[in-house]
Amino acid sequence: MSYEPPLEKYTVSIREVAWGPAAKLKKIGGENTLPFHYFEGALPNPAGLAMEILDVRPESWSPIVLEPFEDVVSDPVRWARKCIDVYGAEALCLRLVSTDPMGMNKSAGEAAEMAKKVADAAGVPLIVWGTEAEEKDAEVLVEVAKACSGGNLLLGPVVKGNYPDVSKAALEHGHAIVAQASMDANLTKELNIALCKSFPPDRIVVDPTSSALGYGFEYTYSIIERIKQFGLFDKDKMMLMPILADVAADCWRAKEAKESKEQGILWEAITGISFLLAGANLLVVRHPESYRLIREMIMEC
Amino acid sequence: MILIGEDLNVMSKDLAQAIKNRNPDPVERCIRGQEMNGMDYLDLNVGPVKKDPVETMEWLVNLVQGITECPLCLDTTNPVAMEAGLKLCKKKPILNSASGSTEGKEKMMPLAAKYKCGLVLSVINDAGLPADADERAASIMESVAYANDLGIANEDIWVDPVLMPVGIDQRQIAAYMEFVRMLPDIVPGAKTTCGLSNLSYGVPKNLRGLLNRTFLVMIQRIGQTSAIVSGFDEELIRLVRGDLPDLVNLIHRAMDEDDVDLSGLSPKEVEYVKTTNVLMGRSLFSSSWLEV
Amino acid sequence: MALKGADILKSLPKTNCKECGFPTCFAFAMKIATGGAKLDQCPHINPESKAELEALLAPPMKLVTIGTGDKAMVIGEEEVLFRHEKSFFRETAIAILLSDDEEPGVIDEKLRKIQGFHFERIGQKLNVNLVAVSHDSQDKGKYTSLVKKAMEFTDMPLLLVSCETEALLEAAALCARRRPLVYPITKENVGAALPKLKELKLPVGVWAKSLEELAGVTAQLQAEGIEEMVLDPGSKNMLEAVRDQTLIRRSALKKGFRPLGYPTMAFPCFMYSDKFKEALAAAACIAKYAGIVVLNQVDERFLLPVLVQRFNIYTDPRRPMTVEEKAYEILNPDENSPILISTNYALDYFIVSGAIEEAGIPAYLAIKNTDGLGVLAAWTSGKFNGEAIAEFIKKFGIENKVKHRKLIIPGVARKLKGELEEELPGWEIILGPQEASEIPKFLAEKWSV
Repeated sequence: MSYEPPLEKYTVSIREVAWGPAAKLKKIGGENTLPFHYFEGALPNPAGLAMEILDVRPESWSPIVLEPFEDVVSDPVRWARKCIDVYGAEALCLRLVSTDPMGMNKSAGEAAEMAKKVADAAGVPLIVWGTEAEEKDAEVLVEVAKACSGGNLLLGPVVKGNYPDVSKAALEHGHAIVAQASMDANLTKELNIALCKSFPPDRIVVDPTSSALGYGFEYTYSIIERIKQFGLFDKDKMMLMPILADVAADCWRAKEAKESKEQGILWEAITGISFLLAGANLLVVRHPESYRLIREMIMEC
Repeated sequence: MILIGEDLNVMSKDLAQAIKNRNPDPVERCIRGQEMNGMDYLDLNVGPVKKDPVETMEWLVNLVQGITECPLCLDTTNPVAMEAGLKLCKKKPILNSASGSTEGKEKMMPLAAKYKCGLVLSVINDAGLPADADERAASIMESVAYANDLGIANEDIWVDPVLMPVGIDQRQIAAYMEFVRMLPDIVPGAKTTCGLSNLSYGVPKNLRGLLNRTFLVMIQRIGQTSAIVSGFDEELIRLVRGDLPDLVNLIHRAMDEDDVDLSGLSPKEVEYVKTTNVLMGRSLFSSSWLEV
Repeated sequence: MALKGADILKSLPKTNCKECGFPTCFAFAMKIATGGAKLDQCPHINPESKAELEALLAPPMKLVTIGTGDKAMVIGEEEVLFRHEKSFFRETAIAILLSDDEEPGVIDEKLRKIQGFHFERIGQKLNVNLVAVSHDSQDKGKYTSLVKKAMEFTDMPLLLVSCETEALLEAAALCARRRPLVYPITKENVGAALPKLKELKLPVGVWAKSLEELAGVTAQLQAEGIEEMVLDPGSKNMLEAVRDQTLIRRSALKKGFRPLGYPTMAFPCFMYSDKFKEALAAAACIAKYAGIVVLNQVDERFLLPVLVQRFNIYTDPRRPMTVEEKAYEILNPDENSPILISTNYALDYFIVSGAIEEAGIPAYLAIKNTDGLGVLAAWTSGKFNGEAIAEFIKKFGIENKVKHRKLIIPGVARKLKGELEEELPGWEIILGPQEASEIPKFLAEKWSV
């Protein structure tokens, strides 16, 4: 029986985005094939994995996921160090929860100062994330961009309503950005087109917004697959950005994740690995065990 | 191309108010304007009319028939209001609309049979909107068979394939077009119509007309016989009435060729080509489609 | 790709003679396209067109049935590589592995769990589907008695696994009436096994070390009249599984390569000894096309996430997932509890109900049928406007459940507030937060009777 495996070649590559301090520069994207398709294309960079930390003590975390960090949650700098030193995190995602206008509403300046401290102490690639309150995020992220000038952070979320300010500050101060459009490939493209008028396309990661197993998982899964394919199959230049899947908060909000440690870890790890299979290039996770599991699964590749 | 003017619509706040207060002036302006622009039918979209359905419809139909000779397309989800309106029509009206759902079969189709009027029949059924062309075909055949049994002839059926917003699922556009092409085979003699402006729902206002116009030219070419359109979009009317043959030819060319050379085209022509490309599904739609 | 109704119509006589039992040729063509009719029903089609059509109509991936009765598992006949292209249709069967090398106590415990196992989640049953009985001891008698035991203790379909061909075929004969899947048939044992396989007419699990070799074995079996096969490309880890499964699915669907046009199987239980990694590999194999996934665990904490992932992956993306229209009672609400209203778009329901649970405040969640449209789309189309909601509130007697007259509506539906104030006189209409994630805070701070 003669058989020729039906390999497929694509003529474009996902853009490569490099972020983080020079000594620990992290590259994501760059592949010219579908996720994990090493047998028919090149994937120069394995998916990035970032562990989540907050700038305040988490209020509503399940004890299951609080336990590994119990001793450090009151200090973002120590928290960051523990993720790196004990749990081997290669990248971090700092959430500036304290700036939430509906919550503590701390000023952009205070938040930026904290971001700077964490960035300096961590020395690994850092995502700095707002609270998804458009206007406040614009203020906060601009201040963070300035305070950490030259730090090559990944700043997000940048949305239709605040992109001009944030992208301008990011460009001036040498940061990359995460462009967020909720579950809609058309809006993802629209935002990228708008951004690329003044911002380099290879400094953009897209976030179609994430979800958890059982709670909208299939929408995220398919939107990631579709974005990747609009880029790779249809060669749409505005859809070739690497993709972020930030699964941490959604997964640990699920009631099933809070029922037992094993189930919680798998809730997050299965969500994460599925989105990587769909085409995500960068994951944000919360539990050290799901971080380790996903990393080991993809590193054997 | 039979054009049905959509502008008398309770989605417009002013008109809704005018109908509620029985104020004839805004209605008259709306009707006269559309008539002047050459609409073949006028759609009277009164919504579900929960309050005084009979009286409201009677007032409106009498008012409009006093202003114009143009035949009417009655558009309400309330069967009581519908019947009140149909009774008064002097010229053969169109009932807009019935679907293949139980409600459509039991409430609306019998009215169309009773008053021997036209019937807009959509491909929606109890299972919702069919996902592709084949499912649309399966649905409409079933509904048409039902309508035929009630004594409604194919010639009186205006099939509505249901046009979905381009921003929601671009693939539905291809499914729409595929279905329009197969329609003569499955419901011979029937007409086609659609609510054209739904195509551009969610798109910035200043760009909606361009999408609507381009698509109407595209589907006119493949056999669409009618559409419910804005009676105030003069360019749209000129396009489908044959007054702008160069633009029409350009859109046809852009349908056939993947890469129409944009050099030497006027800005307007470039817009039509880009819009055709996006409606043909050649590139992913975004509201900035003219900018790339 | 599956043949379309319009393509089939071209080869039909188009006389609408109705002799096939359908009103028109097109109706008949549509039925054929969707599998509801056979070409033979048309007495007037010319033989040439018929032969041509029949070849085109054969699905590129075969259907395989394992087991009998209402627990039978049907896999195969998938049509796409990516779920957004249409849908994945037949859920991956989850098999639980039993070995004749395990202690009887362990086996009993596993069997008990397998048989009793079932989850329910928003009206969906989540189950494991097959019992894989593996021959790892040197003792044929031990294997036979385990197969008997599995038959006795469960009514689930069986997957027989034995590298001793003789033992495998004996076991197959023993439970043939339960229609087990017989595995592995390989290049080496296919010759010896064929007579018995032909006699028993059971589905066959084929193993080979390469796709080329796999195709050789299936061709040989097919030539002898064996139609139902499941392919095991022998993947040793997640990465190999993604490669092998992808190439098989592509060969079948995009190249129409019949020798690989069968559903597949994968063994995460042999890929990883770590139970977590086994579960992750299972999820990867479910996303990437496996028809059967074999696991070596019965721990619910590991199975539930896998089963939910399978359910999500196999949801039909063409239809918005919906939940039933009714007033859901969350955390045992009473007459002073808040009422929140939302659409029956499943995602809205999940997110809002999850937020209420997180808040820890008992509440009624009134879910209005919007045909799966979200708040804004439903409002636009009249399914979630003032009138429709007022009608719904009355129909479900929601006013009888509480003493107060306050209704919390989604924060994105600003216009709805005015409409409802008009339609529901005497009610206070409260605009909720824009984001469901703010509901806990909103209820904690704003809710009082």
